Amino acid sequence: MILRRPLLSLLSAIAFVIMLGPVVILLGVAFTAGSTLTFPPEGLSLRWFAAALEYRPFIDSLGTSLVVAVLSTAAALALGIPATLALQRGAVPGKAFIENLFMTPIIVPELVLGLALFQQLMVGFNITALGTLVIGHTVLLLPYTVRVVGASLALADPRLEEAARGLGAGPVRTFFSVTVPVMRPGIISATILAFITSLNNVPLSLLLTGPGVATLPVEMLNYVQSSFDPVVAAVSVVLLALSVAVALLTERLVGFNKVFGR
Amino acid sequence: MTPVVQLDGVGHRFGSAANGVAAVSDLDLAVRRGTFTTLLGPSGCGKTTTLRMIAGFIRPTSGRILLEGTDATDTPPERRNIGMVFQSYALFPHMTLTDNVGFGLRARRRPAAEVRKRAGEALELVGLSHAADRKPGELSGGQQQRVALARAVAIEPSVLLLDEPLSNLDARLRVQMRQELLRVQRETGLTAILVTHDQDEALQLSDTMVILNGGRLEQQGDPRTVFPAPANRFVAQFLGYDNFPEVPGFGPVTIRPEHVRLTAAVTGEEAATDSVELAGTVADVTYQGSHCLIGVDTAGGRLNCVHPGDDFRPGEAVRILLPRHRLVELADAHTPAGAR
Ligand SMILES: Nc1ncnc2c1ncn2[C@@H]1O[C@H](COP(=O)(O)OP(=O)(O)OP(=O)(O)O)[C@@H](O)[C@H]1O
Ligand SMILES: [Mg+2]
Repeated sequence: MILRRPLLSLLSAIAFVIMLGPVVILLGVAFTAGSTLTFPPEGLSLRWFAAALEYRPFIDSLGTSLVVAVLSTAAALALGIPATLALQRGAVPGKAFIENLFMTPIIVPELVLGLALFQQLMVGFNITALGTLVIGHTVLLLPYTVRVVGASLALADPRLEEAARGLGAGPVRTFFSVTVPVMRPGIISATILAFITSLNNVPLSLLLTGPGVATLPVEMLNYVQSSFDPVVAAVSVVLLALSVAVALLTERLVGFNKVFGR
Repeated sequence: MTPVVQLDGVGHRFGSAANGVAAVSDLDLAVRRGTFTTLLGPSGCGKTTTLRMIAGFIRPTSGRILLEGTDATDTPPERRNIGMVFQSYALFPHMTLTDNVGFGLRARRRPAAEVRKRAGEALELVGLSHAADRKPGELSGGQQQRVALARAVAIEPSVLLLDEPLSNLDARLRVQMRQELLRVQRETGLTAILVTHDQDEALQLSDTMVILNGGRLEQQGDPRTVFPAPANRFVAQFLGYDNFPEVPGFGPVTIRPEHVRLTAAVTGEEAATDSVELAGTVADVTYQGSHCLIGVDTAGGRLNCVHPGDDFRPGEAVRILLPRHRLVELADAHTPAGAR
């Protein structure tokens, strides 16, 4: 392979270095025994992880991040699945328009969205920072759930449900024994995508954090503004590990190939 | 005997009453038990719509549908006991073949042992017992089609509906599957309605063929009755009667190209009494090996002939003999809508 297609191999290698290089450096810095963000690290230790654990805002915000990610992913699925079902299988007038409407959160700059939500929900309706965060992330994730679940439905033969009905299954049985299994790979990939997107989001969360309530990435940003030591690197590694863990867990449970391949 | 399926003036309009499309209009049809009926017609003539109304996936906008003698116009599909085979197969991708075939029986809450046994029998009927534990994605198109058939047959439906089940298969497999389909239908004694736009398929399979055009019935009957005597120009054209000549002493007639005989104009043999004779000029010759397709211009229009031999050239004068018993008189002079 390598010998046969030297240019392709070279390009892939460069891409890997560009993508993974900084991550490797970050890992190194996180485990340093020294006290500056330098690479290569000055000896190995876990002291910066210990330091991160002792810094309350990180622990609190990690909790907030997880709560927000779980709730907004669940809400985006709960809203997105019925919406995509109606769009794909129902006779909805103005289908293309509604589909595009669901895509708008991707187009609207997140800062604008954040500002709007801040104005309307937190200031206008007095909703707590946590509540606003969950609502904001739900809006942000909705396009992903609608699109990804929709894709698995669009790929499936629309006659499947009719086949089931014809064979004697009522609407409810048809839904659970045919439609849901058909959507399953889409639901799983939408869940991973949504969870990781929420966990790592900065722009939207930045505007929706209130006193004492912030997500982990936002707290990291705050931290970097005042102090510049390897603690941030250690926390980054934690965040990275969490994202990878979610992906790996899914891989173990259902198989990545089933989710993303066909 | 009560027909298994009966359509009484059934029609369906898509869209609003004012500016919709009438896909099917005023269709009457009675399907006898144990027979094979085909719905035949060009693309867009309403075959699928008719089948989907019988299955209950769409509701007629006029008329009634009777199944086993009772009005089923408003019965949902799951309570009609109908086996449907889709053009796209529509096999459940996440289930094994056994589970696919057993789906209808599970929906009927039959005991697991019975489901397994009957699904096995249905798979055996189509020769796929060895693949019972595979998923549909691992099968070829022909095999998937067999599974779809087994799945529909397994519920012992009162009628089997097939929407162009063979059109996704290559030509050889299609001919083979036709035999298979006929065998399964005969072995199970099921009543079947098949949609096709392939006249060979209809001729081979049908006890009754129903020819549709623009959502209306043109002619129906046993192929041996319909084929030699198309009722009108549309049916004739659809069945390959390419010639609609003006013949002195006749009204509108048609004749198949293979029944037109050509001889050289110069031979001057005595007039044949059993044939109508015309004079013409060869316009084009298409060589086909065992025969030639010859277009001849006559005073009554162009005639296409299948001629055994390659002894005519464009420009030659010829005598044309139309055997009287091969001339089919048509009911209509005009060209019906849709017969272009
Ligand atoms: N869902 C629909 N909405 C609007 N018009 C439709 C719909 N389905 C079918 N039609 C129209 O109804 C007419 C009959 O369609 P139908 O699918 O029954 O034809 P068909 O005989 O099965 O054709 P084919 O051989 O191409 O499958 C066509 O003119 C078609 O455009
Ligand atoms: Mg059709």
